[in-house]
Amino acid sequence: MRAPDRTVLRETGYIALFTLILSALMQAVFLVIGKWDYTVLLGNLLTGAAAVANFFLMGLTVQAAAGREEKDARQMMRASQGLRMVGLFAVLAVGVILPCFNTVAVILPVFFPRIAVMLRQLLLKKEDKNEK
Amino acid sequence: MLELAIGIILGGCALGAGVAMIAGVGPGIGEGNAVAKACEAIGRQPECKSAVTTTMLMGCAIAETTGLYALVIAILLIFVAPSNFINLLLNALK
Repeated sequence: MRAPDRTVLRETGYIALFTLILSALMQAVFLVIGKWDYTVLLGNLLTGAAAVANFFLMGLTVQAAAGREEKDARQMMRASQGLRMVGLFAVLAVGVILPCFNTVAVILPVFFPRIAVMLRQLLLKKEDKNEK
Repeated sequence: MLELAIGIILGGCALGAGVAMIAGVGPGIGEGNAVAKACEAIGRQPECKSAVTTTMLMGCAIAETTGLYALVIAILLIFVAPSNFINLLLNALK
């Protein structure tokens, strides 16, 4: 297996940072509404880590697929997506079934990378406007 | 009669989860197409590899979200909804 590309590491770092910030925000919201306990923290840690790992694995697949033929790359991405889905399903199932994890805190962090990407697009647009 | 109602609830939830997971197929196809086109672009202009990879990663992350929505709905239908619906039914019968 090849070492991770600098681009993949940089993007994963960015996603991890935003996931951390959004996780802290979620913990704060739970604290404010008076529903915080250790299950919220554990649930957040479980799926926050799984979401970042999912993004990193996607990056590794993209990196590996970039040097291949079109058809191979397409098949590789499909296989990777299927396997990552199964992995996420297992993690979410464990989080939802076991009582030591809060269900809401398990489910929400899965969407943090998507929010991070959306925020990044907004920030990039603002930077572009400032440059102009 | 109660057993039948519980069976219908469980069957409906399982069926719903299965139908929801159909949406999990789409992102795989979309990501595959995106990466295939990116390979073509990198082959044409190898100096743009870093920029293309970044854009592709972000695009794949967005494409995957629909699959994640489906996954979360399926998880909730399998593990959370049945017990809630059965409790609702039992409370209604009391």
